[in-house]
Amino acid sequence: MTTHFVNLLEDLRRRASRMASLVEDMVQEACESVVDGNEALARRVIGRDNDVDSEEVAVESEVIRLMALYQPVGSDLRLLCAILKINNDLERIADCAVNVAERARHMERCTLDRHRETIAEMGAFVRSMLRDVVQSFAIEDVETARKAFIEEEHVDALYEQIIKQVVAEGATSSNGMAARLDVLSVAKNLERIADHATNIAEDVIFLSTGEIVRHGDGGPRQNEG
Amino acid sequence: MVMVSDTGSEKRGDVVPTRIAPPSVRRHAGVPRAGACETVIRAQHVTIRYGDFAAVGDVTLDIPDRRVTAIIGPSGCGKSTFLRAMNRMNDFIPTMSLSGSLTYRGEDIYGPRCDAVDLRRRIGMVFQKPNPFPKTIFKNVAWGAAINGYRGDLHVLVERALRRAALWDEVKDKLNQSAFALSGGQQQRLCIARAIALQPDVLLMDEPCSALDPIATARIEDLIGELKAHYTVVLVTHNMQQAARVSDLTAFMYMGELVEFDATDTIFTKPNEQRTQDYITGRFG
Repeated sequence: MTTHFVNLLEDLRRRASRMASLVEDMVQEACESVVDGNEALARRVIGRDNDVDSEEVAVESEVIRLMALYQPVGSDLRLLCAILKINNDLERIADCAVNVAERARHMERCTLDRHRETIAEMGAFVRSMLRDVVQSFAIEDVETARKAFIEEEHVDALYEQIIKQVVAEGATSSNGMAARLDVLSVAKNLERIADHATNIAEDVIFLSTGEIVRHGDGGPRQNEG
Repeated sequence: MVMVSDTGSEKRGDVVPTRIAPPSVRRHAGVPRAGACETVIRAQHVTIRYGDFAAVGDVTLDIPDRRVTAIIGPSGCGKSTFLRAMNRMNDFIPTMSLSGSLTYRGEDIYGPRCDAVDLRRRIGMVFQKPNPFPKTIFKNVAWGAAINGYRGDLHVLVERALRRAALWDEVKDKLNQSAFALSGGQQQRLCIARAIALQPDVLLMDEPCSALDPIATARIEDLIGELKAHYTVVLVTHNMQQAARVSDLTAFMYMGELVEFDATDTIFTKPNEQRTQDYITGRFG
């Protein structure tokens, strides 16, 4: 394998990291657009989705090209496999951010006010989790990646909390059902972002160690905590 | 008439009497992830010198039965020297000396009781460049058995060997033509058939595809996959993708040292040694 190939791999790694930064920004702005009721920010998030879609296709094409031309093995193969999967998860995260932003544009403020604190906490936690896994990918930091498995459980707990709150509200009043569904949708999309972030963390562990820890396989994830 | 068998069920050693003891079952933990299989060739602390120069240093590994074991490494790492030691092809180099233990099915290959000619019948070799004899296709395959006093039907022997070498269909109507009329890939398969005709136990292959085009290479690689049902194959190759494609186990050698020996999947996806990682990914070598 040539120095040229090594350089191409590093270019691709940087490109994937740049895409991750873009998606991170979208998630942050989507959360702010909901919590602050900022419709302009929501439109901005929605408008950036095409950029992410284009970048996803470009990164995937480059991975396939490098695999076909260089038949990589070992850590090079793991890097390309990881980028291919992380690329897909990033695109899905961007879709979730767009979903959150779309809810922000139509959400009834008084309904949101009752859940703002939990949504804000969930959003902050998800952003922090995403930032950590993106960073762990950039520097192949397995320990940081593993933290995502615990953090995902916290996000799930917050999601459950919001579901209970919304169900309790529905039991006392049939008004504002659409607004409550918007709140649930926002929470569900944040929870999905955490799931995708966890997938990225699994890919970082595979990239660094060669171990597949999905579905509780491989020990490291099971031993977590 | 003897029926042509392509199942590998015929008894080994029924053509050429051998002074090598019959296989003894040895199961041990020295074979990485290839399942519990018999060790055919065992190297323990083998050092091979050319004069004062140690081409191979302190190599310990087991070659398992009916598996393809690839040996990879940069030029000059000692892989061909180690391969050729397995059937004493290095005996022809006067300055060569070997220390440590190298055994074939429990018998010391370099011990006083081992007959090198017998050994080479059991451990055949295919070289980098196809080297057919200047004879007909038939005689190329039959010659070794004939001069060793084979009393069976040579036509049956030749057909069986050519079938196993995946060459029969291409040459069955021109067995009396010169072997030099064949393409390079066909010549190499003819050389494999020639080795098979002696009903060996092990086939050593030293860069068997390096002189062949991609199509001929693919045929040989397919053939190696089929041969391991009947023979233990040890393959030296510079082509790492070839090692990844055809072998069950891979040994990585560097500067005469065995750096890592493991299942091929492991070597090419998550090797344990940094030097292996650097070599397979082209960082050096």
